[in-house]
Amino acid sequence: MRLRSLSLGLLAGAVSLAAAPAPDFIIIANINRNYVIGSKIVTLNGLYQRDAAGAWRHFGSNDTSLSAVAFDPRDHNVIYTAALNGLWRSLDGGQSWRMCNDWSLTEARDVAVDPNAPDTVYLAVTDGVAVSTDRAQTLVRRENGLPGRGKYTQAIEIDRTRAGRVLAGCETGIYLTEDAAQHWRRVFAATDTVNDLQQSPHDPRVWLAATQSAGALISRDGGVTWAAFPGVPAEHALYNITFDPANPQRLAIGSWAHGVLTSEDSGATWVARNAGLPGAHRVWRVGADAAGRLYASVFGETLYVSDDFGRTWQPDALAGSLVNQFLLLPKAAN
Amino acid sequence: MKRLMLPHLALLTAACAVAQPSVEAPPPSRAPVPDAALRREAYHRRVDEVLHWRASGAGRPDPATMDMAAIAIKLTLREDLDLCSARVIEMMKDPGTGPFWMFPTVCVAYVGRDLLTPGARAAIRNAWRTTRQLRGDTENHWAMYYTSLYLMAELYPNEPAETWYSGKSSEENLAEARDYLVHWIDLTTSRGQGEYNPTHYIGEYAIPMLFLATWAKDPTMKQRGHMMLDWLFAELAANTLDGVLRGPASRTDEGSVIERWNSLASYFSWLLFGNTPPIGGYGGWGLYFAPLAKNYELPEVIYRIATDRGGDFVQRDRARTRRFWRYSDELSPAVYKTNYLRRDYAVGSTQGIMNDAIQGHAWDVTWAEADPRGKHATMFSLHPMSSERAMQSQFVTYPEPMIKGVTFEGKPSYDSPDKVVGVSYYERVFQDLDTVIALYDLAPGVRFPHINGFFSKDLVNVTEDKSGWIFARGGNAYLAYRPLAPYHWMKYLHRNGGWAKAAEDLGGRLLVSPHLKNGTIVQAASVGEFKDFAAFQAAIRALPLEFKLEPVPIVKMRTLRGKEIAFTYGQAPKVDGKTIDYAKWKLFEGPYLNAEVGGHKLTITHGRLERTLDFNTLTITDRVRAN
Repeated sequence: MRLRSLSLGLLAGAVSLAAAPAPDFIIIANINRNYVIGSKIVTLNGLYQRDAAGAWRHFGSNDTSLSAVAFDPRDHNVIYTAALNGLWRSLDGGQSWRMCNDWSLTEARDVAVDPNAPDTVYLAVTDGVAVSTDRAQTLVRRENGLPGRGKYTQAIEIDRTRAGRVLAGCETGIYLTEDAAQHWRRVFAATDTVNDLQQSPHDPRVWLAATQSAGALISRDGGVTWAAFPGVPAEHALYNITFDPANPQRLAIGSWAHGVLTSEDSGATWVARNAGLPGAHRVWRVGADAAGRLYASVFGETLYVSDDFGRTWQPDALAGSLVNQFLLLPKAAN
Repeated sequence: MKRLMLPHLALLTAACAVAQPSVEAPPPSRAPVPDAALRREAYHRRVDEVLHWRASGAGRPDPATMDMAAIAIKLTLREDLDLCSARVIEMMKDPGTGPFWMFPTVCVAYVGRDLLTPGARAAIRNAWRTTRQLRGDTENHWAMYYTSLYLMAELYPNEPAETWYSGKSSEENLAEARDYLVHWIDLTTSRGQGEYNPTHYIGEYAIPMLFLATWAKDPTMKQRGHMMLDWLFAELAANTLDGVLRGPASRTDEGSVIERWNSLASYFSWLLFGNTPPIGGYGGWGLYFAPLAKNYELPEVIYRIATDRGGDFVQRDRARTRRFWRYSDELSPAVYKTNYLRRDYAVGSTQGIMNDAIQGHAWDVTWAEADPRGKHATMFSLHPMSSERAMQSQFVTYPEPMIKGVTFEGKPSYDSPDKVVGVSYYERVFQDLDTVIALYDLAPGVRFPHINGFFSKDLVNVTEDKSGWIFARGGNAYLAYRPLAPYHWMKYLHRNGGWAKAAEDLGGRLLVSPHLKNGTIVQAASVGEFKDFAAFQAAIRALPLEFKLEPVPIVKMRTLRGKEIAFTYGQAPKVDGKTIDYAKWKLFEGPYLNAEVGGHKLTITHGRLERTLDFNTLTITDRVRAN
C-alpha cells in the first residue's frame, strides 16, 4: 500500500498533478513498540500530515492499529480509516469517530472511496470485501466472484476513470469488478497475497502490483492483464509499490528482504537503493511526495527521505514508526 | 496479539501486606466434601482469602499500589471508599485501550455504582467517551470486549453516539455486543470452543461470563452468562486430575506446559473444587472473579466430576482452531480432543492440528503428584515449528516481521529450536487410552528440522533400553517413550512463560531427534499394575511393534491394553482393524459430559446427578436419575 492519488474533476485520461494545487501529504504512522492489547498507548499513532514547514502534524484519533486511510474527495473532513476494529469514519476532520462495522468485520486492511461515486466506500478485510453506498453508515459484503476461501484482501484500489471499477489484491490473486463489487472476476492468479495495487497518476491505464511471491507486476490495460517485471526478484515478499508523481519513468518498491528497489525507466531495469538506510533493510513502505522526494519507512527505525530517488537517504522524523501508507491527497473540491 | 500480563505478580505480592495462606500451605485435602453447606462455606472462605489478601495494605501509604482489582475488592469490602474514588479519578486520566482495560473498569463501575463518588463515576464514564478501545484479535479478547461494552451500555442507557468512543449510541453498542455474545455462545455450544482447555485464558472467559450472570439486566443474557460458567467449569472439571488441568491446550506457555499446575486454571480449581493450591497472587486476573464469586454456586454435579472420580475414563470432545484468515480450506477446522484420566496419570491429545500458530500444545502424558508445585510432571514431544506462513495464516502480517516481532519484542522462545510449546503443520497424533503415537513428516528445508522430546527433572530411573524404548517413572506412573529415529540429549533451558529474556536451567532434558521422518510412541501405566519396573519394561518389550519412516512414517503396534493400532502419517488411524472416523465424533462424549454437534445442549452427569444446559431454551434442568 499505497500512494494513492485522488483527482476529482480529472477523471479520464492523463492527469497532470503539476497543474493542480499542491496536494496534502498524509501518512499513517504507528509508533507502538511494546504495545499490547489493553495497555496504555504512550506514543502518538495514526494520521500525520506534513505541514508547510516540513514537520509531521498528528491529527485524528490515537490508534495503534490503522492500516489505511481514505478521504471523501468532496470534503476532506470526511475521513475513513481501516483499523483493527474495522472501519472508522469521521465527519469532522478527525475530531470524532464512528466505528462503522459490527463484529462480523474485523482487522480491516485497506479502504478506498470511489472518486466518481464518493458515497461509496470499499473496505478490504481479512475475509473479503465490504461495501457501503451511504458513506459507511451501513456496510454489506459484496463478494460474488471472490472465492469462498482465499479472499484475504490486503489491497483495494479504485479506477479513477470509471465509477464502480475496482481492483482487489487478495490471497489468491487480483480480482476486478466493473459494477461496484456486484461481480468480481480474477484477472491474475497468485498463490500468496497480493500486497499492493496502484494506479498510475500519469496514465490511468497503467497499474502496478506488489505481491508476496509473484514479484512486481504491471498492467497497461487498466488491470485486465498483468505481466511481471523481469528485473524484480520474486523469492521474497514485496510490501508495496509506488509511482513517482513527478516523473512517470520512476517507480519504487519497498521490501523487508530487498530494501528499496527503484526503476527510472518505467520498470525496464531495477536497482537496489539502500545506501544510507540501516544495515538490515527491513523496508516497510516506500512513498513519494508531489515533488518526487522518496520516503522509506524502515521497521524499528525511523522514516527516511531521499532527494535523489534513493541514491542517498537521510533520517526524517517519527523514530520507531511503521508507516502503513503514504497518501497524496489532492485538495478537496470545496 | 500477545497476552497483556498483569503487573508482575511478584510486585503485586510484595504490595500486599498479608500472606497468601493457601498458596503457602501444604496442598489441600483432595477428599470430596459431601455436605453442600460445608462445601459452600469452604468456597466462601477461599473467596474471602483472596479478597482480604488483595485489600490488605493496598493504597496505604501509596495510593498507586491500588490497581483496579484492589479498588474493586475494597469496594466489595466497603473499605477506603474515598481512597477508591480518588484513585479511580486518577487512573481514568490515563485510560488503557482494549479488553484488558475494559473489563477491570466495568468491574469497578458496577461494584462501585452506589459507592464511588459522582466524580469517580463520571471519570469512568468519560474515559469510555474519550479513549478508543481496540477490540483485539482473539476470541478471549472479544469475549471481554463485548461483555464489557454490553454492560456499560446497560449501565448508561439512552446516551447518544457522541458520548461513546465507538461513536454509537448506547442502544447500538448494546445491540452489537449482545449480537456477538449470542453468536459466540451459539458457536461454542454447537461446534466447541476456539480456545479450549486454556491454561490461563479460562479467566478471560469465566470472568466476563460471571459479570454477565451477575449484572446483565436482560434476563436472557444473565442466564447465558450463568450457563456458560457451568459449561466452562464442567469442561475444567472433566479435564483436571487433582485440580490440575491436563492434556492438550489451545493456548498455553512454557511455564504451564512443563509445570501443569502453574496456571490460572489451578486458581479456578482451588477456588471452585478446593483440591489444589492456587498459584501465587491468586493468578492476577483471578482477582476480578473474586469480588463476584459468591454470586456463583458451583453445581454439585460439576464439583463431583472434579473431585470424586469413580474410575478411569475417556472424554472425547470437539473444539475449533483459531481462525485461519489465509492458507486453509476452512476458517476454523475441527479439533478432536481426547483425554484419558486415571488416578495416577492422564494422557491427552488432539489429532495434531495446527490450532494456534504460537501457543498450542498437542499432547502429553502427565502424572499426579502429592504436591504439584514446582513439579514438571509431564512427558511429550513436538516439532518446534517456527513458520512465517503459519503466522500469516492467523495474523494480518507479512512473512518476515512477525517472527522477529514475536521473538524480539514479546516471546523469545517462539523462534527457539529448543522450545517446548507449539504445534506444527508436520505432526499427526493418535491416542488410544494411554498410548500416544505422534508421527512427523517435516518438509525439507523446514526451519528447525528436528523433534524435541521433554524429559522432566522429576522423572526417575530413566533407562535407555537396548530395545529402543526409554523407560522411566514419574510419580506413580510407569512411562515408556519410543523415539523412532536416532537422537541425542541436551539440557532444557526454560524461558518462563516464553516471555522471559533469560533462559534458566531447571533440570530437565530434551531428547533431540534431528530427522525429518520421525515419530514418538509413549505408553503409560500405573505402578500398581505391575510387580515392579522391570515387569513393566518386559511387558512393553514383548509388544509387537513395527514401524518405518519412508516414504512416510507408519506404526503398527499392539498397545499395553491389547489394542492393535495402525497409524500412517496423513491417514486415518485404525484400531483393531477399524478406521477412526473423526467426523462422527460428538461435541462431548464421555461418562461426565455429553453433547451433540450443533445441539446447543450439554448434559453433565456424575453418578445419579445430572444437569442439562439447554441453550436452545436457555434452561437449566437438574435431576437425580433413578438407579
